[in-house]
Amino acid sequence: MKYKAKPLPPVEPPDLRVVGKPLRRVDALGKAVGSTVYAGDFSMPNMLHGKVFRSSQPSARIKRLDVSKARELPGVICVLTAKDLPDAKLVTDMPGQTGQKRRAGTDAPVLASEVIRYRGEPIALVAAERLDIAEQALERIEIEYDTLPGVYDPLEAMKPGAPVVYEPDNIVATWKIRKGDVQAGMAMADMIIENTFSVPFVDHAYLEPEAGVAWMDDQNVIHIRVCTQVVEHFRSIARALGVPQNKIHIQGTLLGGGFGGKEDITVEIFLALLAKHTRRPVRLAYSREESIMAHSKRHPFIITHHTGVKRNGRITAAEIEMISDAGAYPYLSPYVLLYATVTACGPYRVEHLKVDSTSVATNNPFTSAFRGFGAAQACVAYEQQMDEIAKALDMDPLDVRRANYLSTGDRNATGQQMKSAVWLEETATRALEALGEKTSECGLIKVGQGFASYMQSYGRITWFHDTSRAWVGLELDGTAVIRCGVPDLGGGQVNTLCQIASEVLGVPLENFIIYSTDSALTPLAGTTTATRQLYMSGSAVHQAASEIRRVLLEYAQLHFEQDIENLELADGKVYVKSDPENLLPLSELTKMCAAEGLPLSNLALFKAPFTDPIDPETGQGDIFPDFTFGAHAVEVAVDTETGEITLLKSVGCHDVGRAINPIAVEGQIQGGSAQGLGYALMEEVQVVEGVIQTPSLSEYLIPTSRDLPTTKAIILESGTGLGPFGAKGIGEPSLTPAAPAVANAVTNALGVRIKDLPLTPEKVLAAIEEAKNA
Amino acid sequence: MQPKMITLTVNGRKHQVAFSPDETLLNALRQLNYTDVKNGCEKGDCGACAVLLNGKAVNSCLVLACQADGSEILTNAGLGTMDNPHPIQEAFADAGAAQCGYCTPGMIISAKALLDQNPHPSEEEIREAISGNLCRCTGYAQIITAIQIAAERMAASALADSGQGGKQ
Amino acid sequence: MVPEFDLLMPQTLPEALEMLGDRAPDLTPLAGGTNIIVYMREDRHRYKMLMDVTRLNELHGVRREDGHLVLGSTTTIAELLTDPLIAEYGSPLRQAAAVFASPLVRNRATVGGNLVDASPAADTAPPLLVMNAEVELASQKGVRRVPLDEFIVGVNETLRQPEELLVSIRWPLPSTRSSGGFSKIGLRKGAACSVVSAAVMVEKDEDGLCQSARIALGAVATRPIRAYAAEEILVGQPLKLQIIDLAGQLSAETVSPIDDIRGSADYRRRMVEVLVRRLLSRAAQEMAPREESDAT
Repeated sequence: MKYKAKPLPPVEPPDLRVVGKPLRRVDALGKAVGSTVYAGDFSMPNMLHGKVFRSSQPSARIKRLDVSKARELPGVICVLTAKDLPDAKLVTDMPGQTGQKRRAGTDAPVLASEVIRYRGEPIALVAAERLDIAEQALERIEIEYDTLPGVYDPLEAMKPGAPVVYEPDNIVATWKIRKGDVQAGMAMADMIIENTFSVPFVDHAYLEPEAGVAWMDDQNVIHIRVCTQVVEHFRSIARALGVPQNKIHIQGTLLGGGFGGKEDITVEIFLALLAKHTRRPVRLAYSREESIMAHSKRHPFIITHHTGVKRNGRITAAEIEMISDAGAYPYLSPYVLLYATVTACGPYRVEHLKVDSTSVATNNPFTSAFRGFGAAQACVAYEQQMDEIAKALDMDPLDVRRANYLSTGDRNATGQQMKSAVWLEETATRALEALGEKTSECGLIKVGQGFASYMQSYGRITWFHDTSRAWVGLELDGTAVIRCGVPDLGGGQVNTLCQIASEVLGVPLENFIIYSTDSALTPLAGTTTATRQLYMSGSAVHQAASEIRRVLLEYAQLHFEQDIENLELADGKVYVKSDPENLLPLSELTKMCAAEGLPLSNLALFKAPFTDPIDPETGQGDIFPDFTFGAHAVEVAVDTETGEITLLKSVGCHDVGRAINPIAVEGQIQGGSAQGLGYALMEEVQVVEGVIQTPSLSEYLIPTSRDLPTTKAIILESGTGLGPFGAKGIGEPSLTPAAPAVANAVTNALGVRIKDLPLTPEKVLAAIEEAKNA
Repeated sequence: MQPKMITLTVNGRKHQVAFSPDETLLNALRQLNYTDVKNGCEKGDCGACAVLLNGKAVNSCLVLACQADGSEILTNAGLGTMDNPHPIQEAFADAGAAQCGYCTPGMIISAKALLDQNPHPSEEEIREAISGNLCRCTGYAQIITAIQIAAERMAASALADSGQGGKQ
Repeated sequence: MVPEFDLLMPQTLPEALEMLGDRAPDLTPLAGGTNIIVYMREDRHRYKMLMDVTRLNELHGVRREDGHLVLGSTTTIAELLTDPLIAEYGSPLRQAAAVFASPLVRNRATVGGNLVDASPAADTAPPLLVMNAEVELASQKGVRRVPLDEFIVGVNETLRQPEELLVSIRWPLPSTRSSGGFSKIGLRKGAACSVVSAAVMVEKDEDGLCQSARIALGAVATRPIRAYAAEEILVGQPLKLQIIDLAGQLSAETVSPIDDIRGSADYRRRMVEVLVRRLLSRAAQEMAPREESDAT
């Protein structure tokens, strides 16, 4: 099947000097030479070492807890239990926002005192002179549990009489979409296709386990130097400590990966408590095993699609049920569920739509944010369903999608109008075209190709009234400073801001210094989550830099006696366009402006659209600022005797609106899809009766260099995004279509579908057998 | 048991320090402030702690410090600096191969070990050489590109150094 | 730090054997550390004392001796990949080395360590078994040789006595009319733990019939095992498709795998059949004369 790229509308390439260039990132060399100091690389004089004592039971009541022997161990400075905490609850509101109408309260205690709901739940904290003493102290803590019946399956947890993990009935959240008349729509269908898909617990497996150092100063401010995706947690931390908000200072480090796993509070409160109680600096670093046990997981989902279709492929109605495992505490489960619900039917025109989603508590590891945030799980289901529809109708998978793709101006599942470019066919055809002809099969090796289209929001839920702030300033020698609270997870967040400001101010990228991720010293920029930072902080930086640009050019106008249109600000100077030798170095211009008392810095506040929450009965309303659209295509070879799958080719094509730094965008497409490919093939946190069976990276497998081909990244730039220079976002979108593309390719190879991830060799063999017997 | 006095030459610098006999080389190096050697798993699964031990790339978490007594150790920070980066480090910076950067020191050590043995590796040989270094950010693609670029640049400058420089 | 823990560093083999003799069973030899150091981390009290054997020259290196290949126990897996004697006389072992863990682990892990650790999935065991290897154990009392097939007795259990050191592994030089190989199945392509592994070594006589056959399997029983029944039916036969298929099936019947997180017993059993069949076919093809091979 030869696929030809759908032509793109003619887009005037913008005249940009810095944005769009594959420049070396400002943080690149430091990382390459090993100079970058991560959260675990920092130490302070007189520092203590912290450890967390955790539950070995998934569902229990603490009968007796005795830390006295641990306290007595020489070298142990303090041992804290729930009794020592002022406010024992960890409440994770969506941080950094005001005016929100709904709260995702966790009700998780900082340290458990009575009921244990998951294995690994924190019970006590130790600080000691040496790490090995802290470890020995853990061994001396005496605990007796009364085991309680637990529930480890969301379907079981929904049944009356199930053990209650979340009052009163384990239902943590529900969402609905009611659009049109599904019964009528189904009646119009020539065929109704039904399938159920499931996806497992997945671990973020960032290379950097959680770590940090905290200390208290002479004003009783607790400083926490930590890897976090959210600086605004200082408010929750203050509440947990029983101190005012201005007494918690988060110094965020450059992360060794986040992916949503460092979006919730991890070590911060533990560090703050130990620092406060000992009045000494304390370091706490998780081992890999502790990281896997202690932090959130991606939600498992069970998703059932019933789709009514006409013979020409057009969807007449869709009814979708989604159930997610919230684990032991809610964390962000309600919102992950919302994202899944909103995208449940995929980027398609579905007039008659019914979606019912439920998130259910169990005694499993708690689940929360992970790149894709519910929309990734939804895509695994809807894109496989689209291929199943194609099969049932004997149509080409692309043609079925073409019959249903959204276009600009259409309304999505919640009735929100898609205002930016919706390049679904454009991206799918390019991805397929790049895949090329199918590699020939040989003997027992079958080859298959498959793809997936997707929609993924960028920017947060608009009823959170999201804002971001950034400060940009020029020094008198023409160099520039940015201050922005943005956390950098490794995706180039800080570099992107510099590149944007560099474009606007004409200051070369290498002349920028950015101070970031500091709750006290940098303007708060919100979370690095939800594919929002380029849009939000990028816009704030753009705004701030533009204001300075205006000041410079207005002054230059007078100086050169030229209209602003005749002036250019670039390459570290201002000059007359028609006479470039007539110039002023920026270092001169700044001094002149300063002498006139003109402001050479600006603090900008950028607001996303502020809306009200959607109608809870119908799910209708605007929810996200906008969406990114794209596709991923893969070719696989399957050994039909062993079930082993080899990825032969991989292509990701995304309309990113504007690629601020193409190397960084390519890196996101390659890296995000790598996580999606791993999701499809090998990643599963196996949990049995609440106990993780894959406790380290020996058992929890992520792809190595030998497991992935190089993903070809095709970057499209519609320029229609809400971000700076028309940018959208790519952080999460890059992951979302990869796993369903693999599932579709494997199905294409075998002629039979495996409906639960990961596609292990054993499942492949079982599917082949089943197909033979059928 | 008593800590043992050992000698480690790290990045050309001699250290005579006492370490507990059950201390790993990873922790010993980090205590000596070589914090570019990272702890990602501490059991040989991730490669973030990789160093060259007497020229061989190893997981420093799987070597007891005392076993390395008298050895020469090279960490990524010993290969080059901000002012004078090694060609492999430059290539990583240019190719976008360091996103979060946490796997980078260990990855570069494996790359160095490869290029020391095989100055013109194929893509497959590169993939094999770094198969013990997990990366969660890049999908390995730009890392492989970086190593290829480094190989080319190092070959070119070796040619230039040997007086046969000129048109490549 | 565990108060009683110590790490001894003998300089010569006699010194090492004396230390072992004096302190057994409290002293454990430590080679590459790729297992022991991981165990130490899991349980700080597991080892009272370790003895580093990697500096003992007597335990290192590869040589030919009396029609045998003698492999020092502290030879690393990485060294197997570059040693010309192993390339010529130890092909199945070399193939296993190529897919053993990761390059970083290979630079430390040793053959002796892999065998003494005696994981049921130890990748060096099946190839050594099909080459009829023996291990040489030394103590202050002297030296003894034990066939590898008898040496590993169970999960992480061998016949090594606490005062003994595994000093070398030896096997008869394979005949020029032989061919062997190793293959494993893992859940990913790099740095993968064996879900199932297999090795074969077959030898043809002048008439092209199978003179001897050895088949060994890993990760499918409490220890790496030989598939004797399957081997027997091959002897005296031309290595054709039918007999190879049968050998595969019989091999699968030999094993008693378990269900675990990496795979089910059923899948492992089925993969034994596939791996053995593929290895035998490949070996037959490699030994085929220039014209069409019988086994294709």
